[in-house]
Amino acid sequence: MVIDFSTYYDLPSQIDRIFEEMSKPLYFTQRRVSYPPINICEDDKNIYVSAEIPGVDIDNVELTLTDGSLVIKGERKSESGKYYRQERASGNFQRIITLNVPVDPDNVSAAMKNGVLNIALTKAEETHPKKIDISLS
Amino acid sequence: MTQEIIKKDTLPHFNPDSDILEREDGFHIFMDLPGVNREDLVIDLKENELEITGKVEYAKKEQSKDVHLEFGSGAYVRRFTISDTVDAEKIKATLKNGVMELFLPKAAKAIPKKIQIQAE
Repeated sequence: MVIDFSTYYDLPSQIDRIFEEMSKPLYFTQRRVSYPPINICEDDKNIYVSAEIPGVDIDNVELTLTDGSLVIKGERKSESGKYYRQERASGNFQRIITLNVPVDPDNVSAAMKNGVLNIALTKAEETHPKKIDISLS
Repeated sequence: MTQEIIKKDTLPHFNPDSDILEREDGFHIFMDLPGVNREDLVIDLKENELEITGKVEYAKKEQSKDVHLEFGSGAYVRRFTISDTVDAEKIKATLKNGVMELFLPKAAKAIPKKIQIQAE
């Protein structure tokens, strides 16, 4: 990072930015490694996968559930015009999520809201934890 | 050091990815703001400084545990300096699918004009 001390640049905000850079939470370290960024969480019965895919319609996202993995595939189109700055990723993307538990292929729901894709997968019946009653003899 | 430290919001700040491009009618700024609702997006124009702030908060699902995280709640902040060639009164913003589009039309004086040459 270059600090410019000339009057054209707002120095306080640049210093703020350096501190912001340092205070970034460490748990997002994998951000920007692969596209799109995803979050995975699970409970006893479901696996929830969410992905940040702004600017893409749900119809243009291809979700494939194969044996043991979920594939998110799509394309981000770039706008036409004379570019001064281009930071947003564009082009084809694909992300494979390995699922370590069997899921019910008929019970998958996906919804897109504000550029965030939410997928809920139901774990297969046999993986649900079961309570075993112990009978006293 | 008796002054109490005022803690602002604890959300991490992100610099949203932006594209700036020029078309014949003016400048377009596209900004990725995934998860931001329309109500949480604030666009401020002070003199020629344009500030865009957005907030996103993901509710944690109860009784679920996180396996892998790459994004989360946060605040998006980005500032732009607008040139004089932009008509500040006619700036338009739309938010769709987590992408904000800002349209900055050129001021009438900045639009190139053809000059007719009269033959003698």
